[in-house]
Amino acid sequence: MLLALISDVHGNLEALSAVLEDINKQPVDRIYCLGDVVGYGSEPSLCLELVTKNCDIKLMGNHEYAVLGLEMIDSYTYAAQTSAEWTRRQLTDYDFSIIADFEMERTFDDIYFVHASPFKPDQWHYILSPEEAAIAFEHLKASICFHGHSHIPLIFSEVSNSQPRKRIGHSFIPDRDNRYLVNIGSVGQPRDNDPRACYVTFDTDEREISFHRVEYDIKTTQKKMAQAQLPEMLIDRLAVGR
Amino acid sequence: MPEIIVKYEDKVIERVVTEKKRISIGRTNDNDIVLENRGVSRKHALIEFNNNAAVVIDNESLNGTFVNNRKITEEVLRNEDIITIGKYSLVYHSEASREGYGAANFDGTMVLKTKRQKQLLENTKMEREIVDRYGSSVLLGEENAEFSEYRIDREVTTIGRAKFVHVHAKGFLLSGIQAKLVKEDSQYSLVNLGRKGKTRVNGEEIDQCLLKNGDLITIGKSTFKFVEGKH
Repeated sequence: MLLALISDVHGNLEALSAVLEDINKQPVDRIYCLGDVVGYGSEPSLCLELVTKNCDIKLMGNHEYAVLGLEMIDSYTYAAQTSAEWTRRQLTDYDFSIIADFEMERTFDDIYFVHASPFKPDQWHYILSPEEAAIAFEHLKASICFHGHSHIPLIFSEVSNSQPRKRIGHSFIPDRDNRYLVNIGSVGQPRDNDPRACYVTFDTDEREISFHRVEYDIKTTQKKMAQAQLPEMLIDRLAVGR
Repeated sequence: MPEIIVKYEDKVIERVVTEKKRISIGRTNDNDIVLENRGVSRKHALIEFNNNAAVVIDNESLNGTFVNNRKITEEVLRNEDIITIGKYSLVYHSEASREGYGAANFDGTMVLKTKRQKQLLENTKMEREIVDRYGSSVLLGEENAEFSEYRIDREVTTIGRAKFVHVHAKGFLLSGIQAKLVKEDSQYSLVNLGRKGKTRVNGEEIDQCLLKNGDLITIGKSTFKFVEGKH
């Protein structure tokens, strides 16, 4: 089975549409969304609609938690707070009820899916350093964890995890006797200096993980965000992927 | 259409609006209005509706049927007459209140349905003990047919069908996170997050509601009693 994994769409309709179009060109059987469909971007409702229509599994992200009012956003940056409040005002009751049905985590065989980390999923821990990866591995019961949250495509392996392994733009076949944390990058707000939308496909038979980058109409997204008077910093970062 | 409000010790437990010509009242489940109490006979009484008139007829019950505190065998009902059977009172309205379901809560009383919900109302002493033990507000409910107690002391407490919520509820088409309890200063509010119509307080559908001690929260098929603790 070929899975397409998307995460951190963040209300970016152009990026999401481009990614879904790219996914449709491949023999993908299922699409899983690993959270943060909303927040930052100007089209949370339409993104929710597309995700609901196309994705077989929808996981909860911290931005979903924020709009549901389940997470105190005091600790968020000014831009994140502003956009969370803005997003909350855009969503309909129906949108909220869709979000309220998102799941926290999913496991299939030895593959685990979560938004942030297998360590207390609803606490949204980042996995960016070998130390953070070690804690995540401690709580991971599967052999591969696919996740998002940091917007940086990244793979940690349990054995020799001292060096974060960047494996972008190509495929990777995990060893059977190792375990992995795979950050699938962000569709709608990449932060790895590559502004192109990012997603992953996973061939469950061949156990092949592939990163994909897709160009989208960044200018249109930025224009819509400006019209919505969203914080400039969120608009500017899309062009540079940071 | 006529309406009967069924109360148990001043709490509204059922509102019956009927088109039937005759409704039966008694302890067994085959009655139209089931009153679970040993003071109620199996087939205790009937109410017959004829054009605009309603007549209550005692069915030779052991403990009798009363209308406005007078024992009767057969009595024509007038609007707002109170029929007393055991510990229950049935208020007769010749026309159902136009505002619908919510209007049954005319004096802030509760709309309850099941036996379990009635039990939840009756155990105040036990509740005080539980609250004292936790030192915080508590939700009392049932899970897997057993009583459950949930300590409520977080800023936000989630309730729903999902595994990861704090308080688990059951029910058809219930959302993963159906509702949240939010602490505001020293009070708690219940807010619906999921599908509409699945979150009720004292029988009434709500979007958001400030909770009072003793309020009954119904999420899907699960009912919890909110018992306020010391803060």
